[in-house]
Amino acid sequence: MAAGLCPGRALLSRRGGALWALLGTARGRAAGPETHFGFQNVSEAERREKIYQVFENVAEKYDVMNDSMSLGIHRVWKDILVHKMNPSPGTLLVDVAGGTGDIAFRFLNYVRSVRERQLQQKLRHHQNLSWQEISKSYQEEKSNPLGDSQVVVCDINKEMLKAGKKRAQHLGYSEVVAVHAEKKHECFTIADANRSGLSWVLGNAEELPFDDDKFDVYTIAFGIRNVTRIDLALQEAYRVLKPGGRFLCLEFSHVSNPLLSRLYDLYSFQVIPVLGEVIAGDWKSYQYLVESIRRFPPQEELKAMIEDAGFLKVDYQNLNSGIVAIHSGFKL
Amino acid sequence: MLRGCGRGAAAVLRGAAGSRGASGQERGPEPGRPLEPSLLRFLVCPLSKRPLRYEESTNELINEELGIAYPIIDGIPNMIPEAARTTRKRPPAEGSEQP
Repeated sequence: MAAGLCPGRALLSRRGGALWALLGTARGRAAGPETHFGFQNVSEAERREKIYQVFENVAEKYDVMNDSMSLGIHRVWKDILVHKMNPSPGTLLVDVAGGTGDIAFRFLNYVRSVRERQLQQKLRHHQNLSWQEISKSYQEEKSNPLGDSQVVVCDINKEMLKAGKKRAQHLGYSEVVAVHAEKKHECFTIADANRSGLSWVLGNAEELPFDDDKFDVYTIAFGIRNVTRIDLALQEAYRVLKPGGRFLCLEFSHVSNPLLSRLYDLYSFQVIPVLGEVIAGDWKSYQYLVESIRRFPPQEELKAMIEDAGFLKVDYQNLNSGIVAIHSGFKL
Repeated sequence: MLRGCGRGAAAVLRGAAGSRGASGQERGPEPGRPLEPSLLRFLVCPLSKRPLRYEESTNELINEELGIAYPIIDGIPNMIPEAARTTRKRPPAEGSEQP
């Protein structure tokens, strides 16, 4: 941690970081309980406000920045998360802090291919099928490619959701619904809406607008770090999951290997904010990102917090020696 | 603090409603994107966790008990309590949504 702070402090002092920290604490004492924003100490309300602004600023360039900062590896991390989830068709997923839809899209692709494989297996196992039966099963595949799976993307930031919705259109996730819209020009019927399987909601992870015992899986990828009251978010996660439901959290975590830790700190504090400035024109947001990673509780502590919320069989899997960790728990 | 948030949120909402009205006119065949009905199965009021009623005319989700309405902008329901408006004629005394 000390090794990490040295390059960090160099950068911070360049922008009067010490003065900022002082101001932060002074303001903090006036308004609400103390918490942190990166390495500054601020009030809860201020932290929420600042984080909202960070994501408002980066929303447009979010995906590009993710690719350049992690050298594309974030895609692998998210793929691993969805593979670990191993959803079957008919699964209801809520992706919290899902912003631009990375997990949601992967989920939809996964259930679509599982469903295709299911239908192919069914065909292969039937010995004597008439042409009628074969064409009927192809029609089944066309009319219900997701097998009634659904994902609700919930995020607190409107800009991120807008960017996600636009991306969904470009990538063709609203395609099935669009076909029907041509014919009708009006409100989508319930059948049409179900087919796209994807919905967007503006909501707060600490106060989810969903009813109890509704979802099969709850995911939060690189989002729980930005929640002000992690315990509340975990309690809400427990509430909205069905009994037997799974909680999955993908988040930056702590590297125990000292050599790797030094290299990681160097990269984080020297390269990432520069990339942020060059690509998104926003040094401060990416400085916040790197600092918030350092402030986030390590694997074991997060595991304890998840257990406190009531989850059982809580475990974590380190990816890349702890740069990222997937925590998993069940509501039993 | 909440009152301050409410005032700011109310101003934002008025602005959003204004722009929504205007862009609704020029968007053509689909004025003010409707909500996906499948979502209604899941959505409840984040404050009281009670079911909501979808109001087509104003494109809002209404919680009768608390008398608040959540706007739907671009087909995305805004379920943040600070952004909701009260539907009662006179806002309640300790209303946290309106000043």
